[in-house]
Amino acid sequence: MNGIDEHAQIREQLPLFVAGALDPQTEAQITRHVASCPTCAAELERWQLISGGLRRLPTPQPSPSLVARTHTAVAEQIAERAEQRQNRTVLILLVCFSWIVTIAGWPLFRFITGGVLSLLDIRFHQAWLVFASVSGLTWLAGGSAAVLLSARRQQERRFAL
Amino acid sequence: MGIDAAVLQLRRGDLAALSTLIARYQNRVYRYLMRLVRQPAEAEDLFQQTWLRVAEKIRSYDPERNFDAWLFTLARNLAFDHLRRIQPSSLDEPVDDNAPEETRLSRLATSDPGPRDQLLAGERARHLAAALETLPVIYREVLSLRFEEEMKIEEIADVLGTPLSTVKSRLRRGLEQLRRTIEASYGKAK
Repeated sequence: MNGIDEHAQIREQLPLFVAGALDPQTEAQITRHVASCPTCAAELERWQLISGGLRRLPTPQPSPSLVARTHTAVAEQIAERAEQRQNRTVLILLVCFSWIVTIAGWPLFRFITGGVLSLLDIRFHQAWLVFASVSGLTWLAGGSAAVLLSARRQQERRFAL
Repeated sequence: MGIDAAVLQLRRGDLAALSTLIARYQNRVYRYLMRLVRQPAEAEDLFQQTWLRVAEKIRSYDPERNFDAWLFTLARNLAFDHLRRIQPSSLDEPVDDNAPEETRLSRLATSDPGPRDQLLAGERARHLAAALETLPVIYREVLSLRFEEEMKIEEIADVLGTPLSTVKSRLRRGLEQLRRTIEASYGKAK
């Protein structure tokens, strides 16, 4: 390797040298070279002025109101998610309970109304229709109430902001 | 409260932990976003979105991973999505218009004064900040992560989702372009 090649190679590495992005071997090689080469040492100094300047750049800071707004927004999001999780759990439990009541209610319905239905001459498939209609209406009413309550809570939360 | 403890508590929905994390990282995250988008109003919006994203994704955060890298990745993704929407070409990898060989040779021969004088005073530091703003975003971000956030090269690669060689290449090109800009401005000022 001739002298010019070596200088060129060293100078090529200087940006990464000041960025601390070289392996220890290359760093040691550059350190040795600049110790004995004033021209490359001066070049290194220029790069160090740039890297030092970058490290000391003024830091733009967020305003206190931005931080406060951010904190509020995140806190609301966390609270909302916690509420959604809780609502989901309650909903699953309610659905399970409703199905159990519905399924278990059929024999009870037959037992209680069997005599009355026979007096009215209502056959089995008609009784099933009555039971299904009552159950369906009950589910529909429950679902509508849940949706309305949820909408109202969301509206209240919006007004609270 | 340490960062790890704060992260664990935030996963449980503890708001005090959130305050700890925001207080610890607010300046760094905001500075990084400012370097990327350059406009305070946009940086403020992205700052808020970043912390909302943190609260949203904290349960999927792997505690084995470096939290700084994870946080800056979220901020970066939001900023780049934003930049992609408003100015898609700003994210393109710039063509290196100065052949490295030519640059090296001209530097060997040059005896022009460097940017030393510009950087000694506060006014000159602002000049450097202005020069930094003229760089493409992919160079601004690696320079900011390396010199301002003092991240290791491996951490920067983690944030960018690129190989180490790409990070080094962008660092080198970013510094070279920054120096060219400063020297060109200095020459004009003379």
